[in-house]
Amino acid sequence: MSSSTVRDLQRDLENKANDLGKIQKDIGKNHQLRKKYTIQLGENELVLKELDLLEEDANVYKLIGPVLVKQDLAEANANVRKRIEYISAELKRLDAILQDMEEKQNNKRETIMKLQQRLQTIQAGKAKA
Amino acid sequence: MASSSSRGEMEKMGIDQLKALKEQADLEVNLLQDSLNNIRTATVRLDAAAAALNDLSLRPQGKKMLVPLTASLYVPGTLDEADKVLVDIGTGYFIEKTMDDGKDYCQRKINLLKSNFDQLFEVAAKKKSVADEAGMVLQAKVKQLTAATTS
Repeated sequence: MSSSTVRDLQRDLENKANDLGKIQKDIGKNHQLRKKYTIQLGENELVLKELDLLEEDANVYKLIGPVLVKQDLAEANANVRKRIEYISAELKRLDAILQDMEEKQNNKRETIMKLQQRLQTIQAGKAKA
Repeated sequence: MASSSSRGEMEKMGIDQLKALKEQADLEVNLLQDSLNNIRTATVRLDAAAAALNDLSLRPQGKKMLVPLTASLYVPGTLDEADKVLVDIGTGYFIEKTMDDGKDYCQRKINLLKSNFDQLFEVAAKKKSVADEAGMVLQAKVKQLTAATTS
């Protein structure tokens, strides 16, 4: 009887370990995305600071492909602000996802630990018998 | 995490835990070192830009010069006007500035980078000492363990 339960437990353990690996990979991806967005946010904030320092009639150009296109200061300002808003929202969303995933990861870890303990107790009992 | 753990706390940790702490600290030290290097290269670039501006502002209008098209191809040209410069402020935006404003921009950026560099340097030094300490405690523990098992 015990050999089949042991096999079942082992299979279960393997599945759970795979799940855990997947979650950890996702968390890594999330970290990378967050890093990218944080860098962009910082750059945009620097640009906004620089734009705020300008006089009303300053000439602002936007690089589109290889050409510089003249742009309204107000428009550029609004554009950068919108981008910062978007990136901040995206970062918040990633944060929420990350928290969720970390919770899942901890749960998986716990179930794996429990499974391992059960396997060990079964095997210890077998060794005695 | 236990990033600020003192030596006393480290002594209480198991070898596996210490190993993990050391690895984590080493990783962070490397990351910080990379950031410091990036800041350094950025500062060098800005310094070059500031020097170029300075150079340009010293030349009179109509001055003949050779303009680099590639690193090895130069074409003759004359300086039209040097009191307006275009500054790349990032994310594809360029701003027309006067020469003085341009110089001021470079100086401001350099100062910003310097203060960031100093802050980061302190953090990196602290992390490094944590990593070193963890390594030392770890070694001592391993030595103790091997001595206990062989005797």
